[in-house]
Amino acid sequence: MLEIKNITICYKDRPTVKNFSMTLEQGQIASLVGESGSGKTTVIRAVLGLLAGGGKVTEGDILFEGTSLLKNTPDQWRKLRGTDISMIFQDSGAMLNPIRKIGDVFVEYIRTHETISKEDAWKKGIRMLERMRLPSGDNIMNSYPFQLSGGMRQRVGIAMAMTFQPKLLLADEPTSALDVTTQAQIVRQMMELREEFGTSIIVVTHNLGVAAYMSDLIVVMKNGEIADAGDRDYMLYGSHGDYTQKLLDAVPSLGGVRYV
Amino acid sequence: MFDEKDMILEAKHVTRRFPASGGRELTACNDINLKFYRGKTLGLIGESGCGKSTFMRFLVRLDTPTEGEILFKGKDLTKLKGEQLRQTRQYIQMVFQDPGGSFNPKMKIRDIICEPLMNFGRIKASEKDAVARKYLEAVDLPGDFADRFPHNMSGGQRQRIAIARAIALEPELIVMDEATCALDVSVQKTIIELVCKLQKEKNIAIGFIAHDLGLIQSFAHQIAVMYLGNIVEVIPGEDVDKAQHPYTQALLSAIFDTKMDFTKKIESIDSEIPSPLDVPPGCPFQTRCEHCTDICRRERPALKAIGEGHEVACHLFKEGC
Repeated sequence: MLEIKNITICYKDRPTVKNFSMTLEQGQIASLVGESGSGKTTVIRAVLGLLAGGGKVTEGDILFEGTSLLKNTPDQWRKLRGTDISMIFQDSGAMLNPIRKIGDVFVEYIRTHETISKEDAWKKGIRMLERMRLPSGDNIMNSYPFQLSGGMRQRVGIAMAMTFQPKLLLADEPTSALDVTTQAQIVRQMMELREEFGTSIIVVTHNLGVAAYMSDLIVVMKNGEIADAGDRDYMLYGSHGDYTQKLLDAVPSLGGVRYV
Repeated sequence: MFDEKDMILEAKHVTRRFPASGGRELTACNDINLKFYRGKTLGLIGESGCGKSTFMRFLVRLDTPTEGEILFKGKDLTKLKGEQLRQTRQYIQMVFQDPGGSFNPKMKIRDIICEPLMNFGRIKASEKDAVARKYLEAVDLPGDFADRFPHNMSGGQRQRIAIARAIALEPELIVMDEATCALDVSVQKTIIELVCKLQKEKNIAIGFIAHDLGLIQSFAHQIAVMYLGNIVEVIPGEDVDKAQHPYTQALLSAIFDTKMDFTKKIESIDSEIPSPLDVPPGCPFQTRCEHCTDICRRERPALKAIGEGHEVACHLFKEGC
């Protein structure tokens, strides 16, 4: 369904991601893990054509359902983004306009992609919020982003991203700004998305535990290259890559290493 | 397990209320009693907004509690003023969450590390170079870093500088406010190892704030779990798996680690932490607790000792070891 073929991404002629390839099937969850600056976010931004600051895919190709994404015109992108491919950001609060109510933004978003009356769009928004386990959707639609907690804002972000039941969901550190209990709720919710809608998901995370729990495929990145890739069992038990081992050792775990 | 004569700081009935809109009050810390011991780490854990940072800020006197006292070697920190307070500050230092934000970007590392020492007249300006090198080496950084500015360093290196600055005055207590949560796991590990090494060498007491129970249990001697301004459980670091309070158990079940059982369903508690403005009477955790009964809605449970160094505030448990 998604095929990333040997891409190299450069910012101002300096390659940030080199020779990156991966394939994702319908309904699969993949994780990109690695330290900050290893190019994880750059990869998923490239998939959505959102490379910041003059970044460019200089080699290779990205195929989504057989067609290359790299030659898309702005018009084609507009049709694709938000409907077939959507994205959840690290802090959905920053994505929402702080001086407009959630409902206002949500209705505008729905009406950009679909010809629908305002009332119907509003109802559709509430239905999505409730599906994301946000009770009293009306209340939330009438709130400003700052009135919601981080976990609620993140769920609003997911609700928006899932409105048109995209085939591919890209999540950039969706839980790293959240508390552990909220993180667990969001992880559970994302896994339910796959069961309910058959969505394929790519998650960028630095939490190896979350990656291992959710994913069918784990890709470890280092300095813009793939350091190791495989399924969970391979990663946790079969991998002999030094870097993977180092990362695994660094994850604090219950009953694990104690320093005192 | 802890020797009372090693106790260097004791917080007694510390309460902090902030005025809120509409004449209401927000209780950020409610009747907190904790003890810090020389050479031991106290981990304070809880969700955002539970009051853990508010409490730790009292220890460095960035804020004062509304009620209660904080005894540092017999002196009440909350009542100190002027020169006496300034002199006491050198014994209690702090490391912040974002090391980038806690440095003056125009100061060189040498000046950052030596500033506290210069303030207290412990070294002469001519000694700065040698002293900065000594502390840089203590945190496993090359001595040449003294000439750098904070912005030419990575997050992990900056956090090491923050630690070097905190230990420069040879304090007896260091407060670390989520000191590793902005860092990658592999860097986090090296920072924790460094902190443990320095603690052993210098016998420092550490107060560490975190929201990751998996991390804190790897190096804390005692762990206090906080929920909506209340301490709900205090447990020795090595016994975390014996935690009893329903909230601590919820935190435990929300941990993702690489050795977990991946077929396990996520059984995290639903719903959000209630607003600290309207904490229900009775047990603060009642709205999210599955064992909630009548008494929980009426009466606030007090901390009861249920084992060696293990205290729980929950009506489900009876006193006794």
